[in-house]
Parts: sequence; structure tokens; C-alpha cells
Amino acid sequence: MKVIIVEDEMLLAMELEHEIQAAGHAVVGIAATKEQALELVRAGPPEFAFVDIHLQDGPTGIDLGRQLAKQGIPYVFVSGNIKKLPADFAGAIGAIEKPYTMNGMANAIAYLSDLVGGDDSGLPPASLVLAADALPPPRY
Amino acid sequence: MASHVREDPFAAAFKATRMPMIVTDPNQQDNPIIFCNEAFERLTGYSNEELVGFNCRLMQGPETDPDTVTSIREAVADGRDVAVDILNYRKDGNTFWNALFISPVRDEDGRIVYFFSSQLDFSNVKGKEAELAAARHKAEEAVAKRTSDLQASLAARSLLVHEVDHRVKNNLLTMASIVKMQARLTQDAGQRQALMSVLNRIEAISTVQRKLFTTDDVARFDIAEFARELATDLVGALRRDDVVLTLDLSPVYVPAVKASPLSLIVNELVGDAVLRGLGECGGEIHIVVKRRNGHFLIRVEDTSQPVEPDETSAEVSRMLLEASARQLEARIERRNEGARTIVEVTLLVEHEKDIPY
Repeated sequence: MKVIIVEDEMLLAMELEHEIQAAGHAVVGIAATKEQALELVRAGPPEFAFVDIHLQDGPTGIDLGRQLAKQGIPYVFVSGNIKKLPADFAGAIGAIEKPYTMNGMANAIAYLSDLVGGDDSGLPPASLVLAADALPPPRY
Repeated sequence: MASHVREDPFAAAFKATRMPMIVTDPNQQDNPIIFCNEAFERLTGYSNEELVGFNCRLMQGPETDPDTVTSIREAVADGRDVAVDILNYRKDGNTFWNALFISPVRDEDGRIVYFFSSQLDFSNVKGKEAELAAARHKAEEAVAKRTSDLQASLAARSLLVHEVDHRVKNNLLTMASIVKMQARLTQDAGQRQALMSVLNRIEAISTVQRKLFTTDDVARFDIAEFARELATDLVGALRRDDVVLTLDLSPVYVPAVKASPLSLIVNELVGDAVLRGLGECGGEIHIVVKRRNGHFLIRVEDTSQPVEPDETSAEVSRMLLEASARQLEARIERRNEGARTIVEVTLLVEHEKDIPY
């Protein structure tokens, strides 16, 4: 997949880039703001995006996500506070909560790349909260 | 007419009662008082001579509610009964709260011949009522202010907790990223292995931090849920069909302070089993987390081939297990049953922390 990363912490973005590359995908751009991300999309729509909620220009990740969804670009949120997400996940497939583990991220990428490729036979890993699962858990 | 009243036993009662009463004559100009009893004189401070021939409005003053006066006037004009609370003035200018009742008296043809009026001074009651209302109002104000202060302070605290939580999460991921970066760049296999082993423990603590706040109840932590995520992520990342993971988990809540050492124990045991499962022939790993007789049990079983880990990793793992177990006052037992390695961790859980939702 051709992937963009939208993340304002450059160190985290860099390491995520390596993890995505290690899974066999190409990172075509890193953006720290909503505008930079939209610029990347205009330059050539990616096949997938990882989007943080809180960016350099504020909590603009959700609005960015809605625009990606409108353009048919599949994406997930990568955030330390997925509770901030609206109920519909702003059109995202799901969310990976920070701080994720290397294994958690690797499993999520594998599942997501299968899903985007049309194979939904796999089980979603624990590290990935799917939009449909975002309802409050049942009380025991 | 005066002599007629005097002879009437009802009139005698009227005169003698302690209830202030008057009679007015609507057929005279301005409906003047034509009779009042002594109780009325005592109440108002006016003498009979000062009252008879005058309209009752002489008892009104600047603080008297004009709407109340209107309602009396309308009732009298309509020939209806009326009962109102009105602020009246005594001769000396002092006020009193008067529970006033006025009722028309009709003759045989139904014509109104008099108005009869009784009064009751309830200033005492009214004063207490006002005091009570003022006190209640004050108390309500104080409560409202206190509530708003508390809410503001709670909101500030909650904001602070979330801000700190967010920073801790970011910092943990930043630490992990630094270690990952160095592990990626190093050419030395031993160094890389050491860094990855550090990363593994940082990630265990990161998972605790993440799980602590996903439940709304910050104070509790479900060790079973932690074990599930840790084990499935670890085994899932192997991408090997010959390593089979089975889970027998039921929620066991522990206080937040125990989350980190307990999670490190689970991390060491599961990590160790997975490491040994990496031999040629794979193996089965079975993880149990449940309560048993007021104790809390974690059992990790595996059928993996024994692998000799390098000495340093084995020592680090042993020390982490020992330190965590000491902190939790937990017991760790390891035994072998044929090809099966079984490690059991038992510790006492505080009962009230363990009651499910």
C-alpha cells in the first residue's frame, strides 16, 4: 500500500514509518498538520492513512479524517485518546491506541492491509479498535 | 340598630370574642364601619369612635400590596366572600400581617345589608416564614456556590488527569521509539537483542498505561484483559501456525498500584513460553487467569522445546519476576509434567476490589 502518516511528533512518525515499511508498504509522505496532509492527498491520493487526532494545528485529525473518508481513502486513527473520537469514528476503519506495541502495530497493519485488499477473513487484533466495536463494553 | 345588636345573643358573642371583627354598611357612602368589637380595637389601637363611620382603608399604608386591596374591592363590589393576607397598619404606624376574611350578610330578599369581617394577626407566623425562607435561600445559595466550586475543581482535576495521562502515553511511546531506533541502527546482534528486551518491558508497561484508562474506573485493572492482549499480540506477530495459543480467562480486577508488577510477571511468563515455542517444532501455549478460593491465579503452560536462553536475559527475567513477586507478595511455582512446563502465580486479591460491575 502507498501510505501517508499524519502525526505531529516527528520521532513517533519516523518509527511508525519504519514499522510500515517493515510490513512491506511504502510511506509516501508524513504530515504534521491537517493542511500538510491535504496537500499530500492532492499531490497523489494514498491508498491508506494513519492519522493522529491531535496535530500541530490542534485537534484537527477528526476533521481531516472526515475529508479522507469523503474521498474514499481508508484510514485509521492512531491516538492516545480514542475516547475523543465521535461515535461514527469520523469514517475511519478503526483506531490504534497509543502507546501501541511493535507487535500490536505489526498485527494491525497486517490485518488492515488484508482488509483494504479485500480480504476480511482475518480476526482483528487486540491492538485495533474497529469502528463498529466502539460501543461501550457490556457490564459483567 | 345599635340597641338591636346589643340585645341579640349573637351580638353579645360578637362583642366578647377574642377574634377581632367588624361590620360595615355598604348601603352608606363609602361602606363605613358601623360596628367593631374590643378585640378589633386592641388589634388596631383605634377606639370605637375613631373607627365607626370610616372605611377600613384607614388600616392600609405604603407597604400594603395594592393588588390585594384591589382583590378585596372587587369581591366587595361583586358581593363575594374574600379571604386574603394583607399587611395592615395600626394607629401607631406599626404594621401587622392580617389574615382577613370578609363576607356579605344578606336579608331575606337576598340584598346585601352588611359586610362582616374578621381579622387574624399572623405577623408571628409570617415573620418565622420569612426567616425560614431567608435561611433556606441562604443555604441554597451556599450549596449552589459550593457545588459550582466543586464542579469547577473536579473539571480542572479531570482535565489535569487526562493531560498527564496523555503525556505519559506519549512519553512511553517516545521512549519505545528511541529504543527501537537504536535497535534498528545497531550492527551488533547482541546489542540489538538487549535493546529489544528493554523494549519488550517498556511495551508491557505501555500496555498497562493504555488499559488503565480504557476502563472508566481508573482505580481498577483487569489482568485477564491484559494477558489476552499481550499473548494474542505476541503470538499473532510470530505468524506461525505451529505455535498454538489457547486462553482460559475470566476478569480479575486488581488495584491500579498492582497493575505494573503483575503485568511484568505475565509478560515474563508469556514471553518465556513464546520464546521457547520458537524452536523447530513449535508448541502449545495455554494461559489461565482466574480467581480461585479468594486467590488469584495465573497459569502459563506450554509444550515447547526447552531452549537455553542466554545467561543475561535469563537473569534479567528472573530478577524482574522476583522483584514483582516480592512487591505483590505473590508465589511463583514452576514444575514440569512430561513435555509440559507449568508456571503458576498465586496471590491474594482484596475482595472488594474484585467485585465485578
